Amino acid sequence: MASIAAPTTASHASTEPENTGIWSWITTVDHKRIGTLYLWTALFFFIVGGFEATLIRTQLMRPNMGFVSAETYNQLFTMHGTTMVFLAVMPLSAAFFNFLIPLQIGARDVAFPRLNAFSYWVYLLGGIFITLPILFQVAPDAGWFGYAPLTTTRFSSGPNIDFWVLGLQILGISSLAAAFNFITTIINLRAPGMTLMRMPMFTWMSFVVQFLVILAFPPITIALFFLLMDRFFGTTFYAIAAGADPLLWQHLFWVFGHPEVYILILPAFGLVSEVLPTFSRKPLFGYNVMVYSGIMIGFLGFGVWAHHMFAVGMGAVADSIFSLMTMLIAIPTGVKIFNWIATMWSGEIRFTVSMKFAIALIAMFTIGGISGVMHSSPPADLQQTDTYFVVAHFHYVLFGGSIMGIFAGIYFYYPKMTGRHLNETQGNWHFWLNLIGMNLTFFPMHFSGLLGMSRRIYTYDAGQGFDMFNLLATYGTYLLVVATAVFVWNFIRSHTRGEIAGNDPWGAPTLEWSIPSPPPEYNFAKLPSVTSRYPLWDLNNPEMTSEIAHSAADAKVITDSHAVPMHIETETHTAKELGIPMPFPTAKPFVVAFSMVVMFCGLLFLRNDMFALSMTVTISGALVMVAGLYSWLTSPLE
Amino acid sequence: MSMLRLRQAAPALLIAAALLTLSACGMTEYPNSTFNPNSDFNTAIDNLFDRLLFWGTIVFVVVEAALIFTIFRFRKRPGGAAPKQIHGNVALEISWTVIPAVILVLIAIPTVKTIFETQAPAPAGALTVEVTGHQWWWEFHYPEFGFSTANEVYIPLGRTTNFVLKTKDVLHSFWIPQMGGKRDLITNKTNYMWFTPNADLGSSAWNGFCTEYCGSSHANMKFRLFTVEPAEFESWARHQATVAVPHRTPATGAPGTPGTTTLVTVASNPSVTVTDSVPAAEPEIGYFFPAADLPDHVIPKTPIPADLPFDDGLLAGGDATRGQQSFILGGCIGCHAINGNPMAMSPIGPNLTHLATRHTIGGGLFTNDAPTLARWIKNAKKMKPGALMNTIGIGEYEPLLKGPVTAGLTDAQIADVVAYLRSLK
Repeated sequence: MASIAAPTTASHASTEPENTGIWSWITTVDHKRIGTLYLWTALFFFIVGGFEATLIRTQLMRPNMGFVSAETYNQLFTMHGTTMVFLAVMPLSAAFFNFLIPLQIGARDVAFPRLNAFSYWVYLLGGIFITLPILFQVAPDAGWFGYAPLTTTRFSSGPNIDFWVLGLQILGISSLAAAFNFITTIINLRAPGMTLMRMPMFTWMSFVVQFLVILAFPPITIALFFLLMDRFFGTTFYAIAAGADPLLWQHLFWVFGHPEVYILILPAFGLVSEVLPTFSRKPLFGYNVMVYSGIMIGFLGFGVWAHHMFAVGMGAVADSIFSLMTMLIAIPTGVKIFNWIATMWSGEIRFTVSMKFAIALIAMFTIGGISGVMHSSPPADLQQTDTYFVVAHFHYVLFGGSIMGIFAGIYFYYPKMTGRHLNETQGNWHFWLNLIGMNLTFFPMHFSGLLGMSRRIYTYDAGQGFDMFNLLATYGTYLLVVATAVFVWNFIRSHTRGEIAGNDPWGAPTLEWSIPSPPPEYNFAKLPSVTSRYPLWDLNNPEMTSEIAHSAADAKVITDSHAVPMHIETETHTAKELGIPMPFPTAKPFVVAFSMVVMFCGLLFLRNDMFALSMTVTISGALVMVAGLYSWLTSPLE
Repeated sequence: MSMLRLRQAAPALLIAAALLTLSACGMTEYPNSTFNPNSDFNTAIDNLFDRLLFWGTIVFVVVEAALIFTIFRFRKRPGGAAPKQIHGNVALEISWTVIPAVILVLIAIPTVKTIFETQAPAPAGALTVEVTGHQWWWEFHYPEFGFSTANEVYIPLGRTTNFVLKTKDVLHSFWIPQMGGKRDLITNKTNYMWFTPNADLGSSAWNGFCTEYCGSSHANMKFRLFTVEPAEFESWARHQATVAVPHRTPATGAPGTPGTTTLVTVASNPSVTVTDSVPAAEPEIGYFFPAADLPDHVIPKTPIPADLPFDDGLLAGGDATRGQQSFILGGCIGCHAINGNPMAMSPIGPNLTHLATRHTIGGGLFTNDAPTLARWIKNAKKMKPGALMNTIGIGEYEPLLKGPVTAGLTDAQIADVVAYLRSLK
């Protein structure tokens, strides 16, 4: 079927002239705008985390460097980890969840648009809450993993850890709310004909991730609550004088922490699974296996947590079980790598910047995966754990994996989000500087680790054999700084100067490419009914999808008076013009988020014997929050 | 353009990686390497790691080669045919699931075997050393001999030592890279780790590190391991179990009886000798690792802060008798025990009984010489961030007081304490 209306140039200006200005951003409940907010904020925190890393690496450039003090360094490495995990990589994934999932499944928005906005504001405010202390040199300083009893008041008497505990609780609320939102969206709002096994891979991987969030965040919430109770109210969950077992914290943390790393990587895997088929002009190889392996990784991910604890003395039986489980999880992960290579095999590969990043993920994640399998053997791990070998491993999977995959997604979806392309030349500079910089920074760490260098040390002595590796790693970091600068320049400039992009600049197969770039506020003028896994290829390149299962246009379809056969839309209107009811913009999510964070802030004063002030702030925040929630819940959505 | 660069770069990168790998063996260049089979523990680990490296290299080469081949071979060429639309292949899926599984089994079996071997109870006849971690120093207690020392641990070659690992405060981790893996020190829990240094190593000195982040000076919590011949070990241990040299009970008999010792005086050069009212043989101080034999990597090179002044000229005139009294005046007895000194019995800080037989101070951080020791006493916090030792030097800033120390020791008094401490052989 051809397009609904005569093709017109898609507008790249704002489609709703009245929706500009700060207030429109504060009150937005549009998933595309929220996704944009997540993207900008997450990129900002990525730069903050990168700056912290640059300071760290400058301090470690030479033995006994003296560039920063021990205390500053300890705050820097703590904040670098916390920022990158919670404020950069997870929200970058969230940017894509927000922007992309409704478009990929053929929906108008997420199931709970106001809750969606609430998630973003909580993230922003929580991010500010946990980052601001570094300006006053009271940033958290016990590592991103905050092992007890170091984090108890006895050994960390300042406010640093209070900020950490409360900040993470706040950020956890953001992620949990979003997880419920996306699960409901994916289950309920798919376009007619889009069975689960016809969903795009990014949506599938994101779906698995939301379940991981729901099941993994409660343990860390509990762990943090215990610590909060200890620090503020004198309980003894982690108090060594009362006989507490520090391993309680470690188990609770890593039951969260291990699924967390799959939360960090699966969205990037999903993005790669979108990019590779498009630029190979071939469908994804082994779609079913890719879905099942993603589910297996998510499921098995809950059974391996104590591989972070091989040195604590759990005993031979526990060590063995977790070792075998960890080896097991390597299998579905490896299967994905092979399926991606098979996707490109006998394809017609176009090396856009996006494709380069996707290929780099395969190459780099393989290295990180191999060092991961090395860690899975406890006796060998006793030499590797807590050394730079581990730092090398997780940066290969997080930077070489998550970040590269996210950049692949950014270069792929930037035209859809903004209506313009990122500059390919600058993109190539970014890619190569990134690839070389990343390897120069982290490859030497495999060596310094196994040659005796511990982690989390603010300095090292001369004559220990660490010097050259550290120098190389620091040079690599400076390359990464340049790479990031090139990217930021490109990202900002291309908003106004980039080459205009149409609906489908890449020849991609999924629903989001059938509508204008950027999409109108209502996404689809008429919701399409989907007859295969690759609805747009069905329309544009039927020879590519002739061998996969199709259904007739009206078989197994939820009767929906708005659904029509698959089509391309090129006109942009307002929802009002087309008579499509859309959710009202509202500031209530922002108000509830803000007052909730104020409520948490009040607790900060408790340990300083400012009980009255603490209760005033906390209770005021709570009251505004409850009032705001009531107002939100009793006002109509659209 | 980019393909060509990759093609050229790949062999160079591989060679560089290989060279780096090969060079990871040299002892002097990499003195903390984990690759040397110096003990039974590390030999077992090394064998396991060799297997992991073997399979890891194979997987790396196969996967990366497949990837690089694919992206070159199937790149879009002008006039190329449309690609075949392959959606999957069951045989391939099964193969690349089963083959990695088989490789993992080949890794898993020796892994579990090694786990049970290395975590079995220590062999009978093992030497017991109790290790207690503190922020940021190491306490070593030898229950069979009945003494405690700090930051330097001696064990015999060719005999198993069983380390009993505890901590008084936060988590730490005990790691000697050249001897084997690490084991955490967990509060309210006792861990065990044993190994047997190879008998043919010859008396050697090794670096040890804390490898679990434990606060401000985690990086500065180091120790030294000395693996020595059994006879040397016996000599060392027996001496360490005696009271401090200046506090030996004088022999009964009239003053002037040979063997009567008097307290230390310092000769014109800073090295301290024990003098006798009646010349007698130098008291036996047992074996300790000769300073001349110390390899470079165990000698600390931590810089002394430039803004910690001390008049080194005072050191020559330090008097150990006065020093023993300043040791009380300065509050040192609040934390430090010296066996034989009835005033100094506190278990809180490092035991200083035979401090003069140690090569480092401050948790393995600085060389044990008079000028360094004087500065350490004057302002330990400045030398080591977060150190829990009080600032002693009058006029030095003490963070706990949020002001300068007024009740402390002058530089001259510190010089006396240094003289006393350096008499503790």
